[in-house]
Amino acid sequence: MADAKDILGLPKLGERGSTEKRKTPKDAVKKPDGIHREVYALTGGLPPIMSTLDPVSIKKRAAPTKKISWQWLPFSTSARTDNLQLYHWVRIVDGSQPSGDYAFAKYNKGVDGVRYTDEEYNQLLVDPNWSREETDRLFDMCEQFDLRFIVIADRFTPPRTVEELKHRYYSAAKTIIQARAGPNDDLSDHALFKDSYNVNHEVDRKKALNIILSQSRQQDREDAEVIAEARRITEARLKAKGLEDTQVLIRDSLHVDTTPARVPSPSPAAAGDISFLSVPVTVASTTSVPVTPVPKPVSASPTPVPVPSPVPAPAPAAPTPVGPRPPRVYLRGAWLAQQIHSVVSPAGVRIAKRVDQMLEEYNVRSKPKVPTAAVCAEHLELRRELLNLLQLQKQVQHKENELAVLRENPYAEIPPTPNTPKRSHRGLENERVSTRATAAGAEFEGFPSSGERVGKREHKRKAPARFQETPTSPPYHKRARKLKGSES
Amino acid sequence: MYGGDEVSAIVLDLGSHSCKAGYAGEDQPKSVFPSVVGSVETPGAVVDGGGDTDMEAKKSGEAEKAKSRKLYAGVQALGYRRDYMEVVPAMKDGLVADWDVVESLWDHALRDRLMIDPKEHPMLLAEPSFNTQQHREKMVELMFEKYDVPALFLAKNAVLTSFASGRATSLVVDCGGGSTTVAAVHDGYVLQKAIVRSAIGGEVLTDCLQRTLEAKGIKIKPRFSFKRKEIRQGEYELIPLDLPNTTDSYYAYAQRAIVADIKESICRVPDSAFDETSYANIPTTPYELPDGQIIEIGADRFKISDILFNPTLIQTIPGMEKFGTEAGIPFNGLPQMVIESINKCDVDIRRELFNSVMLAGGTASMHQMKERLEKDLMEEAPQAARVKVLASGNVLERRFSVWIGGSILASLGSFQQMWFSKAEYEEHGPTYVQRKCP
Repeated sequence: MADAKDILGLPKLGERGSTEKRKTPKDAVKKPDGIHREVYALTGGLPPIMSTLDPVSIKKRAAPTKKISWQWLPFSTSARTDNLQLYHWVRIVDGSQPSGDYAFAKYNKGVDGVRYTDEEYNQLLVDPNWSREETDRLFDMCEQFDLRFIVIADRFTPPRTVEELKHRYYSAAKTIIQARAGPNDDLSDHALFKDSYNVNHEVDRKKALNIILSQSRQQDREDAEVIAEARRITEARLKAKGLEDTQVLIRDSLHVDTTPARVPSPSPAAAGDISFLSVPVTVASTTSVPVTPVPKPVSASPTPVPVPSPVPAPAPAAPTPVGPRPPRVYLRGAWLAQQIHSVVSPAGVRIAKRVDQMLEEYNVRSKPKVPTAAVCAEHLELRRELLNLLQLQKQVQHKENELAVLRENPYAEIPPTPNTPKRSHRGLENERVSTRATAAGAEFEGFPSSGERVGKREHKRKAPARFQETPTSPPYHKRARKLKGSES
Repeated sequence: MYGGDEVSAIVLDLGSHSCKAGYAGEDQPKSVFPSVVGSVETPGAVVDGGGDTDMEAKKSGEAEKAKSRKLYAGVQALGYRRDYMEVVPAMKDGLVADWDVVESLWDHALRDRLMIDPKEHPMLLAEPSFNTQQHREKMVELMFEKYDVPALFLAKNAVLTSFASGRATSLVVDCGGGSTTVAAVHDGYVLQKAIVRSAIGGEVLTDCLQRTLEAKGIKIKPRFSFKRKEIRQGEYELIPLDLPNTTDSYYAYAQRAIVADIKESICRVPDSAFDETSYANIPTTPYELPDGQIIEIGADRFKISDILFNPTLIQTIPGMEKFGTEAGIPFNGLPQMVIESINKCDVDIRRELFNSVMLAGGTASMHQMKERLEKDLMEEAPQAARVKVLASGNVLERRFSVWIGGSILASLGSFQQMWFSKAEYEEHGPTYVQRKCP
């Protein structure tokens, strides 16, 4: 405010009286040169403790002592071979001109080419495809155009391809350099030798690039469509196959009789590599270990799956490859692990573990030591059967419970069977179970009567005759599974 | 300028439609005028002209000729109607046809418009990309012998356009007045095997438009053929002038000038291929002719521009059906020409060329040209290459891009070593130009 008044020229209050007294201190407070008074006042009216900006430096620098003028003078550049004199503006300082070459002459850089002499040519560079004149012209043009081979090829007569020109030039240059180099010179660092020019590779590369670049967008779109279609078809087919597989698997393991030869489904023509050829199912009636076919790549001849049964005759393709497709080249051990996983996983983790446990109990390795085709097949088979066994036991258990409940209370409601989706296929079998159960149950009444839990062990039998059951006591016998006798 | 060193060179660009001249280092040519002259054959003695540049076609060897030709160059001279004045173009099919005409044009440019003495200034001349060795030598001879220039350089149009945008490699699509040229520039040199030309240029489009208008019954009166007298405030009466000695070529030339103006102001490139039905209902644009007539142009605006992309449309224009069959040069649409040119180049540089397609020339300054070309090219180009069309936003820059490139080149410090000097000319002869100006 006081400042504003000052600016306007109005006297400050009470100042007049003390002007003289305050003269000297006022002088001391007088603003330094170079800064506006207001700016100085920002610092509080006092000079800053540390000098931040030298006020002298802010002022315009003193006028240069030298005299500078511009003149229109001729110049010559060392980059030219003749003595053409062009004119340009030159900054003259104190009457003396700048010396030295034309400033832009230093940009006159070329490529260091090689040039041969006549003897060298005759000795080293004679080539059936290239005449002397052509080679001369090539080297001339290389010098003129700084090794821009595309431009050289464009203007070369007779017309030659870029690769030919490059090949000739580089091989000639290499030969010359090698010939000229003394025994001590190390050439391996030379650019020509580090990355040597490979004609055939270049030709192929260019062909490939040409193909890529000549496909127009239309074609690309069409190609993409075709590929997408193919993929869709393969996936659809696989899905259909997958469903079929699981169905066949279940039915196979239950049937005692020979599986009728199925109508071979057309092997899927996958978009590419894999097609299946599988060995048909044959079952021996007596020992009746159903043989599930093993997928094989087409190339392999169907090796007979060793089974304690007659050798299966390779009939025309029956269906049913196992879940995942076999890769083209694979390690059998890893492949087996995959197959096991695919077979077992739908059934649940717990059951998988139980299968493993059972294997352990019998001292069977969970991974076969020597995974040959036969061994793997057997192993897989074993696992499958165990799986089946467990599932069936579960089923049986369930039915027994039902039975017990119904016995007690004929009108009781039976909760639906728990989570075994495959059981829907087993309508018939279930009925058989129940009928047999009653017959047997009457026999074995009272067998495990005391509430002791019956052990789980009954898997000594591998026979499919698992429908005998002990009469269960009331529901706390969840695992009464002792199967006695057989239907035999 | 960091790389620049001005030696006050002059840049001359002689095109089929117009001639541009100016100082190197500037961003626009100082003088632009049509590259045609009016020629009046006067029997007998030479007559001195006033004001305009007269040029005697008589050289020392032709003194026997009874008649002399007076050539009038420049906008002013041409704009004034003279009896029996024929309009003679300098270029035919993109190459110089009449050297006398060229001389008179250069005289006009250098002495009348730029007002310089050619002895003091090195000259940079822009030449067509497909120029022949003969033409080059003749040009060099003319310059050195007649004008006594200290140094000279001949640069190809495509290279200069490429430099004008700061690139050493690009594909230049030059849509000029006389023809359209597509040329590939690699590292500062034109790839001659990859030049594709088409006879369709601005002049052809103007012709088409003229025929279309005539077919509609619109008569275009050249400016000299009438006078407008003001009867009342704002109203004019048209008085036709009868000038029987006007030559046909001059009449046509004057008409074409008007139609060219219509074309430049109204025509637009359609966003997709033109077909009669979809554009039938487009609203029309009015245009006032010099004689006061107001004409309405509708779908033809698009049709004319689409001729560049689809030349078969020419056949549908009444009066122009014979165009394709006469000309020796076959023509495709612009996108096809571009693809053809690129495919003639080495495989390695194709991608780069696709990536930098440059538009230049007067005809290229039509609206939407860049977008349409880009769209069409993307359809035809391979998937692997990314297409990018570059064009300066400024209309004048597109028109003068060749000249601007020359201006840049001649004022570069590192260019000063490349001039073809008089001493070299005297030592090696005009054929040395092939070596010096590749």
